[in-house]
Amino acid sequence: MTRRAALGLLVLATAHRAVAQAPPEVRLEAGYARVAQQQVGARDVTSDAALFAVFWRRPADRWTLFTSANLTYARDSLAAAQGVAAFAFPWTNIERLRTDFGAAGARFSLRSAGTGGNANVFARQHYVRDHGGTWIGAAGGITGRDGSHSASRVADIGAWGRYRFLYGSASVSRQNSNDWLLLATSGVYGTPFDQYFVLEDWQLALQARHGPHELSATWTQRRGVVGAETYVVAFSASGVLQLNDRVAFLASAGRQLSDPLRGLPQADIATASIRVSVGPKPLVRQRSAVGEATVERRDGQTELVVRIVASDTLTVEVAGDFSDWQPLPLERDGNQWIARVVLPPGKYHLGIRANHGTWRAPRNLARVHDDFGGESGLIVIP
Amino acid sequence: MNMHRRVLTLVALALASVSALPAFAQGTVVLPIADVKARRAVEREIASAQAKGLPVQPLVAKAMEGVTKQATGERIRVAVASQAKRLEQARVLLAPSPSVAELTSGADALAVGVPAPMLKQIRAAWPVAQSVAMPLDVLTELVARGIPAKHALKQITVLMARGATPSQIASLGSSVQVDVAAGLAPDAALEVRARGVMSLLPSPAAAAALAPSGRRP
Repeated sequence: MTRRAALGLLVLATAHRAVAQAPPEVRLEAGYARVAQQQVGARDVTSDAALFAVFWRRPADRWTLFTSANLTYARDSLAAAQGVAAFAFPWTNIERLRTDFGAAGARFSLRSAGTGGNANVFARQHYVRDHGGTWIGAAGGITGRDGSHSASRVADIGAWGRYRFLYGSASVSRQNSNDWLLLATSGVYGTPFDQYFVLEDWQLALQARHGPHELSATWTQRRGVVGAETYVVAFSASGVLQLNDRVAFLASAGRQLSDPLRGLPQADIATASIRVSVGPKPLVRQRSAVGEATVERRDGQTELVVRIVASDTLTVEVAGDFSDWQPLPLERDGNQWIARVVLPPGKYHLGIRANHGTWRAPRNLARVHDDFGGESGLIVIP
Repeated sequence: MNMHRRVLTLVALALASVSALPAFAQGTVVLPIADVKARRAVEREIASAQAKGLPVQPLVAKAMEGVTKQATGERIRVAVASQAKRLEQARVLLAPSPSVAELTSGADALAVGVPAPMLKQIRAAWPVAQSVAMPLDVLTELVARGIPAKHALKQITVLMARGATPSQIASLGSSVQVDVAAGLAPDAALEVRARGVMSLLPSPAAAAALAPSGRRP
């Protein structure tokens, strides 16, 4: 018992040390959902639901801890709460590899799928290149519903690629489960003489990103391999419209196929919600933190002056060929951050970043591709 | 006082970084790339460029930029190789004896999409003894702002032909920047500012009379 307690304390201390090095990023979401379900042997069910979600992320040097909690509530038929915790772990000795793993739990009361809970664990190994990558993953989960339990396993493999602002991925997954009730509430006939059923999904996803705005579409083809007579094609689309640095509007519509791993039935869902980023660092790209670089003359010297108005920012740095790309901290001056660098005439590339985020070109400068998938600002000092 | 000290610190850092760069030739600069294999690959690229007589400084700077931007080792190697290729191309285009600054400016101009023959045109527009680094830099900045290279080159070469100084040409870029920030289209801003600079210059006839004898045809 003592050894277990010591081990627990050690794990807690390690996790605390891993995540306590940077301020957390927090998002709150609230919105509305309309859910329609088609069931075997019963009339279709349509529910209106309220959605609430909290997303919390804490990056550290090597680990990133993600947690989120969701609550979905409908007046007469639907209530679900879910929590997720996940670690992202990049390998230090092989920089192209990254491992994600985590656990999730949910408590739900669904008119169509009973009252109960779900717990699942997942792990994914990524191989990441500059414009693409592959992954292989495995997950397992248990769903309890009205006193009975079912188990599910999922294996998936996929690849993704990026071309300019477009991201695409293709994946295939196999789900093995004995959650027959879930199958029925998803409108699928099962073959009762089988011990379990196997579903195979082929999925294509495409996402377009323009600054903080996103538009995504997903196409999934599912067929029953064992124990389930189904062939279904589902399509869903979603979008994020960033209204300002902290507030975004999110909308989605489409068919969500049944998910035995998480105990979720098939449904046609449309949602609309508002997301607010709180805390010291919004998760969105910080347009307010993309400052300006100007040239000023003072005491007979030419100074490159970098200014950023960002009252809620913790650190701001500038780097460029004038500093051998060593980040130089800006100094807070009231509501803004400022750095002055005396430079001789010439051309300089530079970038600025807030809160150790992405390097960006100051918004008033000419922008050039930096050979690393990003951009730098370009300024010529007369 | 505090701000003054900060300025001095930044200047010292900038100077220290510049003075540290040539040390690569003696093998004393170790690029801070964690992956040893990737670091050696980048160092091989730089050494290979150095053996061809290309300047090391812009290549080390490119590698350092990649390190700061947390690019992968392979990506840094590819970026350094690309920069070396552009430097090599610029050396041919800016012959006969381009300086390190001119090579770097030429390579950066090629990187933003300035057509190769334009580098030759710029070189031909000024005396061989006079550096074309600043005109190339301004051309690069204007093209990066979205001004068609042909249009930007025309304005710069007209200014060069009228005897504009490097400082006057450089101020063209910063003036356009101010106008663009104020909402003027880059093309229109260039047109207006080029005329403004030209009004300060001697007439074409006077410029021809003042032109140095080493000017190329």
